[in-house]
Formats: sequence, structure tokens, C-alpha cells
Amino acid sequence: MQHEVERFKLRTRWLHWMVVVAALTLGLTGLFLYVPQFGAVAQDSVTRVIHRIAAVIFVGAPVLYFLVAPAASLSFLKKVLTWGKDDLEWTKAAPDYYFGGDESKMPPQPEMNTGQKLFALVSVVCFIGFLITGIIMWAFKGQVSSGVFNVSVFVHDVCFILGGAMLLVHVFLGAIHPRMTESLRSMITGKVSAKYAKSHHGKWYEETTGAGEVAEESPSGTAQG
Amino acid sequence: MGEKAILYDGSKCTACRGCQAACKQWNDLSGEKTTNRGSYENPADLSVDTWLKMEFKEVSRNGNGSVAWLFNRRSCMHCTDAGCVTVCPTGALYHHELGFVAYDKGLCSGCGYCLEACPFDVPRRSGNTITGAGKMDKCTFCQDRVTQGLEPACVKSCPPGALSFGERGELLTQADKRVRALKAVRDPVTGEALYPNATLYGNTQLDGLHVLYVLPDSIDKYDTLPASPKVSDIVIAWQKYLQPLGYGVVGAVALGLLINYMVARARMIQEKEGK
Repeated sequence: MQHEVERFKLRTRWLHWMVVVAALTLGLTGLFLYVPQFGAVAQDSVTRVIHRIAAVIFVGAPVLYFLVAPAASLSFLKKVLTWGKDDLEWTKAAPDYYFGGDESKMPPQPEMNTGQKLFALVSVVCFIGFLITGIIMWAFKGQVSSGVFNVSVFVHDVCFILGGAMLLVHVFLGAIHPRMTESLRSMITGKVSAKYAKSHHGKWYEETTGAGEVAEESPSGTAQG
Repeated sequence: MGEKAILYDGSKCTACRGCQAACKQWNDLSGEKTTNRGSYENPADLSVDTWLKMEFKEVSRNGNGSVAWLFNRRSCMHCTDAGCVTVCPTGALYHHELGFVAYDKGLCSGCGYCLEACPFDVPRRSGNTITGAGKMDKCTFCQDRVTQGLEPACVKSCPPGALSFGERGELLTQADKRVRALKAVRDPVTGEALYPNATLYGNTQLDGLHVLYVLPDSIDKYDTLPASPKVSDIVIAWQKYLQPLGYGVVGAVALGLLINYMVARARMIQEKEGK
């Protein structure tokens, strides 16, 4: 039986999947106001009401998470905002790995690698953008000037495009890319194999386990995963 | 059929508000409780139940303290370059073949984008702030009448003939003639020109409005008639550039991921077979 390490706590997985459900609902109901050909679906405000219910979950889940686990939340934000030389190395080596599978030049990564940090950063920025402009459009329509309202819609759209494009990448790398075999499983069960942890998040693996004592480790270079 | 228009001649208007009443009567709109605000002008603003209202503006004329009234008809202008049609996500708002801006209320999602995109601040929305459910309303150009060969209810009611309805081109000629006639009017005693600043409004604004105005005074005297109204830059940026860009960005990313998947998978199969 292969040695496994815990990657995501139960509460983190709950947060993730709550946000997934909310974000997909928001994206879909938002699309009806974005793509003219789907516009008719939005008639009689039904999708707009659903959009607002999903928005409450989308904002409520992270807020609840923060209240339950403030330290973990802050540490997450700190990790997302910590960038260094390794990130440059990772970015240079990434195409060779993600296309060709050549992992030799990838620097050992902490809990979140450069790409994951980038996604998290964009998510946080878009989240704030959605939140502020969403509140303006929801509660202050008619009270703010037309200029402020129209800028809000514009920024909401920018966040949708940016966040949506990044979400595609996220889903692809998490669940579809042939070498990311354990990403999706880890967000469901919370665990990854030690082998996967070591090859994808070497720094984090060493920090959490104390050393690189992995049983049945395959020779470097053939590690896939 | 050519484009139709309504011509409002402010120099003939007595602000009897017969049009306001006829509009409510024909379109079955409720009356609103009004208050005395020191003016005959009421209600205070357009609403989902008031699609047309007359404005009473008091101006000082010839600087001797005498007050003159400038009346103005406030309703949907039925623009050619209409901000509301540009932003409407469901296609509820559209240009009718007769030129005016019509809407299919059934299709309206109540998003309220049109309220903020209108350069004349005309559409109004009913609904619930919490859920966002609601419907937009504005002047319909009496679509149900004009498509049956009748004039709009407001025009039908107008006692002094300040409102006329017809082919837009013909009304423009008529309006132009009227403006020139007004400019020529002189006080019989002093010989002073009475309407030197008379002007036409709606001929060029937003590529042509379908409500034309003969104004007895200059445009800047009218608070709700901007001299050069325009659909705001941010609305144009959002509709004409950002939304198409969105398709491009998401499409490019999706294509990139597809290529990545095919290359990565091919390499994995090669590795397996090669070793």
C-alpha cells in the first residue's frame, strides 16, 4: 500500500466545492446576460434571482471559512502573495514539463506552485472585483451615478473574462491534463501519494514530513504523476 | 414605409398636459399621488406609470424681471443610436422598422442596464431591490396605434396642435420652416425679435431622434435636452470591445489547452512505447 500524505483538510475541500457550485451557477446565469443569443433565457428575472442566491454562497462560503479558520486563511493569503526566484525558474521550465513531461528543470515547489499561486492570486483579485461591483449593481443601482454603474458592469465583465479563462486552465490542470493524475482526487479525498507530493511539491513535502524518506521512491527523471 | 416621428412644437404648446393624461389613459397607466412643489409640473419625474410628462421651466426674459415659461415634452426620444438598445442583453429593446425604439416586455430581464445607458435618463424600472426581479417601462411610441395607421395618443389629444405625427423627413421640413418663421417674429411695438434663438432639436442628435423639437429658445435653456447627447464611452467600450474580446480570450485559452492536451498525451504515449 502506497504511503499517502494529507493535502487538503475536510473544511478546505468543503470550501472548494461550495465555491465550485456557486461559481459555476454564477458563470452560467451571468452568461445569459453576456451572450446575446442566450439572452432570452434571462427573461422574467429568473436567472438574475438565481445569480444573486449563488452570489450569497460564493461570498458566504469564504467568509464562513475565514471565521472558522482565520489562521489558515491568512496563511493561504500569505503564500499566495509570496513570490521569489523559484517562481521565475518554474515559469521557464513549465512549458517543457506541461507539454513534454520533462521535469528535470522544475525547481522544487512549496505547497502551491507558481501556477497555482497565479490562479489563486487571480481568483482573489477577481473575487474582490466581483464583490465590490456586484454590491454596487445589486444594492446601489439608481443611487450611484450612471458612470459608476456602467464602470461596475465593465469591471464585473473583466473579472468574468479573466476569472473564466483562468478557471478553464484550473479545471484542465486539475482534472484533464494527462500528467496531473492526483489533483482531482486530492480535492475529493484530501490525500495525495507521497510520490506525487515529492515530485510536484518537493519543498512542501519536506516541510511536512521532515525529510525525503519516501518508501519505494522511483529514480528521479522517471517520476510521473 | 419610411421612418415615423413625433414633432413637438414648444412655441405652440400651452402645457395643458392633455398628452400626459391621454398617454396614461391609452396605455392604462395608474395615476400617481402628487404634491404641490410650487409648480404646475407634476408628477416630479418619469416613472413606470408616467411615460410622458410636461416640464414647466420659468426663465427670466429680457432682463426686466418678467417671467416666461418654457414648456418641454419629456419622454423617450426614440434615438437612432440608442444606448438602451446597445446594452439590452436579452434583445427586449429593439428598433422597430418605423424607426422608433420598441420593446418586448416579456423578454425584459429587469437588469436595468438601459436605465444607466440612456443619455436622456428616460427608462424606469419597477421591481424588488433584494431579488432584482422587475420590468422596465418607457414610452412605446404607441406601437399598437401607429402600426395600425393611427397617431400616438399624445398627438391625438393635443388641443393647440403642438404635437404632430408623420413621416420623419416631412416633419423635419415642417420644423425647419417653423423655426425660420419663429426667428422672423418681431414685437409689433418695439420691433425686437421675439424668438431670435429658436432652434430645431433632434435632427442630428444620436444620428437622429424620432421625436423632433421646435424650441422657441436655445437648447441650453432646457435642462433635459443635452446639446450633444452621446452614448457613454464606457458603454461603448463594454459592448463593442470588451465583450468580443472576452470570446477571443476564452477561445484562445481553450484552444491552447486543447493543443497542450494533445501534445502532452502524445509525448506520454511515446515515452511508454519508447521504454
